[in-house]
Amino acid sequence: MEFLKKYLNPLVTGIGILAALLVFSLNVPHNREANIAERSVLSVLSPLLQPVSRLGSLIENVWDGYIQLVDTHRENMRLREDIRSLNQRVLEGNEAVLTNQRLERLLDMKKIVKAPTVAATVIGEDVTSWFRTLVINRGSSSGIREGMAIISSDGVVGQTVKVSASTTRVLLLTDHASGISATIQRSRARGVVKGKAEMLCTLEFATREEDVKVGDTVVTSGIGGIFSKGLPIGEVTMVKRGEYGIFQTVSIRPAVNLSHLEEVLVVLQGGYE
Amino acid sequence: MSRRAALLFFCLVLAALVIQVSLFPIFIRPAFKPDLLLVIMVFIALRGSFETGAPLSWLLGMLDDVCSGLYLGLNAATFLITFFVIKSVSDRLYADSAILFVLTVAGVTLAGFTLNLLLMVMFTSSPGIAYSMLSDIFPRLLVNAFIASIVSAFPGFDCQLESP
Repeated sequence: MEFLKKYLNPLVTGIGILAALLVFSLNVPHNREANIAERSVLSVLSPLLQPVSRLGSLIENVWDGYIQLVDTHRENMRLREDIRSLNQRVLEGNEAVLTNQRLERLLDMKKIVKAPTVAATVIGEDVTSWFRTLVINRGSSSGIREGMAIISSDGVVGQTVKVSASTTRVLLLTDHASGISATIQRSRARGVVKGKAEMLCTLEFATREEDVKVGDTVVTSGIGGIFSKGLPIGEVTMVKRGEYGIFQTVSIRPAVNLSHLEEVLVVLQGGYE
Repeated sequence: MSRRAALLFFCLVLAALVIQVSLFPIFIRPAFKPDLLLVIMVFIALRGSFETGAPLSWLLGMLDDVCSGLYLGLNAATFLITFFVIKSVSDRLYADSAILFVLTVAGVTLAGFTLNLLLMVMFTSSPGIAYSMLSDIFPRLLVNAFIASIVSAFPGFDCQLESP
């Protein structure tokens, strides 16, 4: 008895291990089948497991949906900021693509013009609506003088009139004081393109006998020394020959959209001293 | 005019000029562009003294000319003439009135148009400009009067330009 009392615990432990090993060894060949003990335990537990599992899901939903809302709000704010920033980048990208397209067209025009040119950006317009002038961001420091031609990718814009060191005022071809010697491209009829109200021009001094039709392209004649020959000015939109008079009335729509002009080329040729 | 008022006036004119040259053309059609310098000139004519107002009006007109068209001195002359006319009668009027201010701006717009047209017909070669000016005058008059009415609603409108 003394021996049993002394070694009871190690003995029980040993027996337990042996029993466990026995159960284990007996179950190894049938390890894929549930024995009676397992089946009994699972049968007892299954009614409990299902609601507890549902409760767990509910708690998880509550945690994710409500308790973690603080993080969600923060994340939402961050994502909104990301969207804003990405939208800004998309807009900048689109703007860069459009600017690139415009500048490419301007470069094409630069290749046509033989004289040296300098690119400029429109930075302002006339303060009144009675005159048609623009302000560009280049001046005498870039070699610009009064009386030089201003062109864009679509054609003639006007000529320089008041030059300061860093800015230049451009007299648009639609201003009443503007006059450009021109030719009808098809029939070679000549005249002077003068500015008219509502962003239009007229071809003056074209005699009644001259062949001018609606849709004809008007180009510079090269006379006068400011504009080189053949630059597009616009398109004839209306021709009127009265019963009397020497000249016909010809309206021209400028080739350049002057109200949406952003970049121009200054032809560094000619000009007044 | 105190140094602070002069600085404030300078900043106001500069802001008006920049807005008129760079901002308005983007958002407003040419016929509906208000003439902010003209509105400022009318304010000076109604509230300021003759000694300060006359050179300032001339300078404002010159500024208008620098940023407009080809004829330097055209608006300067017009502004100065209009200033003299307003100044000669302003002492007999309740110059603090907002309605008077709006009406004067409208009247000066019309007078400025007439004087400019007259000067250009007499001294320049601008055939057809009368048509452009005539087609714009009505919207211009309305827009200037509208701007004047906004200015008159500003909190500091009824303050004195110069201390007596």
